Amino acid sequence: MAYQLYRNTTLGNSLQESLDELIQTQQITPQLALQVLLQFDKAINTALANRVRNRVNFRGSLNTYRFCDNVWTFVLNDVEFREVTDLVKVDKVKIVACDGKSESTQNKSDKWSVTQTPQISVCL
Amino acid sequence: MLSNNTGPVAKLYLSIIDDVIESMRELFLDEGLEDRVLDDLRHLWESKMMQSKAMEDFRKNNINSSNFVLQLPASYSRTDQELTTSVLIPASHNIHSFPMKTNSETLATFSLPAGLSYPVQIPAGVTLQTASGQLYKVNVPVVVTQAPAVQPLISRPTQRVSVEREAPAPQSSAVPPNTKRPQEGDPPSVPASSIQPPPNARIDIPPGQENSYPPQQPHVPAAEPSQLQGARSPEPDIKMDENEQSPQHEPVNLSMNASPCSQLLEQISSEEALAQTAQLKSQDIDDILKEVIEEEREKAERARILAPAKNDNKPDPVIGLDLDFNYNELSDIVQLDGPAGNSDMEEEEGGPLEENDFLGIINAEAIKALQEGEGSSDGNSISSSSDSEVAELEEAVEEDPLNSGDDVIEQDIPDLFDTDNVIVCQYDKIHRSKNRWKFHLKDGVMCYGGRDYVFSKAVGEAEW
Repeated sequence: MAYQLYRNTTLGNSLQESLDELIQTQQITPQLALQVLLQFDKAINTALANRVRNRVNFRGSLNTYRFCDNVWTFVLNDVEFREVTDLVKVDKVKIVACDGKSESTQNKSDKWSVTQTPQISVCL
Repeated sequence: MLSNNTGPVAKLYLSIIDDVIESMRELFLDEGLEDRVLDDLRHLWESKMMQSKAMEDFRKNNINSSNFVLQLPASYSRTDQELTTSVLIPASHNIHSFPMKTNSETLATFSLPAGLSYPVQIPAGVTLQTASGQLYKVNVPVVVTQAPAVQPLISRPTQRVSVEREAPAPQSSAVPPNTKRPQEGDPPSVPASSIQPPPNARIDIPPGQENSYPPQQPHVPAAEPSQLQGARSPEPDIKMDENEQSPQHEPVNLSMNASPCSQLLEQISSEEALAQTAQLKSQDIDDILKEVIEEEREKAERARILAPAKNDNKPDPVIGLDLDFNYNELSDIVQLDGPAGNSDMEEEEGGPLEENDFLGIINAEAIKALQEGEGSSDGNSISSSSDSEVAELEEAVEEDPLNSGDDVIEQDIPDLFDTDNVIVCQYDKIHRSKNRWKFHLKDGVMCYGGRDYVFSKAVGEAEW
C-alpha cells in the first residue's frame, strides 16, 4: 500500500473529480473508482521516487508545527525556495509530510487496521 | 524553477496518467466496461490538468495566463510620454497579442522586443484591446513593466507584460481617514457610556443599599448627565446612615451591594461592548472623566465601608483625590469593570457568585490600600495606594482578557492551515534545536499559485 498523501495534489484532485463525474453518470462504480485511486497512489509514489531527480533548498520562519499519527504538518511564512538556478518566494506554505523512512510504507488511513484475526480456543 | 520551466512536471504528470490508465485498462475490461469509458476518464483527467496551471509549462511557451502582451506602434517613443502613474489591468485571458488604439484612432501593433524595453510608458487616452475583445482605456499615463513572474523571462522577451493600475489609489487613500474616525471616539466613549445606565438602577434601590455609591455630589461637574445627578441626590442623606450601618450590617451590605454592583457591572460591561461595537463618537472627554470619577468614588466608598471605619476624614480626601487622577489611570479603572462585568453577563446563573468574587477582590485590595495608607499622609499615600489598588485590580481583571485571547487563537487555527500553497511530501528527518528547525524532505509535490513543482530532495531551515 502506498501513501494516499498525493491525492491532495492537482493531479490527484483532478483524477478524483473526473472519477466523480463518471460515477455520477453511472459509467463506473465507486469501487472501481477506488481501485483507480489506489493505482494512482502506486504510480505517483513510484514516479516521484524514480523519475524525479532534483534538489531544493528552502528557508523561512516556522509559524506552526504539528506531529500526529507520524505525520508532520508545518506552516511556514516568508519562505524562499532555491533550486540551482531559480528562486521562489512564498509568503505562506503548508507542508504535509509522511514518514519516508518507514520500511513498509503503509497507507495512512490503514494505520490502525487489524492485520491479525484473534484466535479463540474453546475447551469442551 | 523547481522543474517546472521546461516541462518536466508536465512530462511527469503525463507519464503518471499513462501508467494509471494503462494499469486500469485490464481491470476495466474485467468489469465489462468499454475502452471508451477509460478514454473518457483519461480525457477528463488531462483536460482538468490542462485547465489548471499545474502543467502550465506544457502549453505553448508564448502563452501565460496571468499576463497579456501589450503591443504599441513601432514609432512609439518613450521620451514623448510622461510618467505619472501606472495602471494595473487584471488579465485573465491567454492572448498572444492585441492591437492598441492610438490617439489617432488607428490600430497599430508592435513587437515589444523590437527595440523597446521595460518599462514602457503609455500616454493617457489610449485604448487597449485584448485579443478576446476586451477594451481597457488608459485614462492616465501608464507604465508597462515586466511582470515578476516565476519563470525566467530573459529567455522569453516577447512575453510577460503587466500593467499596474493605480487609478483606484486616490480613492483608496481616502478610505483610511474615514475609517480612522470611528476608532478615535472609542476609548473616550467607552467609559462615558458605561456609567450612564447604572444610575437608573440606583434610584430604585433602597437607601440601605446605596452604601456603595459616592455621596459627594458637589464634586460632580454640572455637565454630568442628569441621570447621574438624580441618583446622587439621596446620597448625602445616606452618608450619615453609612457610618451607622457599616459596623452592624456589614455582611448584609455585602449581599445587598451585590445586586447594585452586579447591575452596575452588567450594565457597564454591556455598555462597554455596545460602545465598542457601535463606535460612539458623541461623548466628550469631560463627561467621560466625570463618569469615571464617579465610578472610582463608588469603589473607594465600598472599600471604606468594608474596612474598619476608623477615620471619617478619609472618604473626603479619597474622593477628592479621585479628581487628581489623570486620564490614563481613569481609563485603566474603567477597563477594570468591563471584563468583570462581561463575566457577569455571560453567566446569569453564576451571577451572584461572580459578584461576590468581584467584591472580594475589591474588598481585599481596598483593605490593603487603606492599611497601607494609614501610616502616611492622606493625600499622597492614598493616591498611591489607590494606584496600586487599581494596578492590582487591573492585573486581576486582565487575566480574563488574556484567557479570552486564547479563544481567538483557537479560532484562527482553521484559517491558519487553510492555504493554497501546499507541499505534500515525505520526511527523512525533522530536527529541532531550541527554536531552530531543520527539515529533510523527499519526493514532494508543491502547489504554489496554482502551479505545481516537484522535488526529490528538499532541505530547509526555519526558525519558530
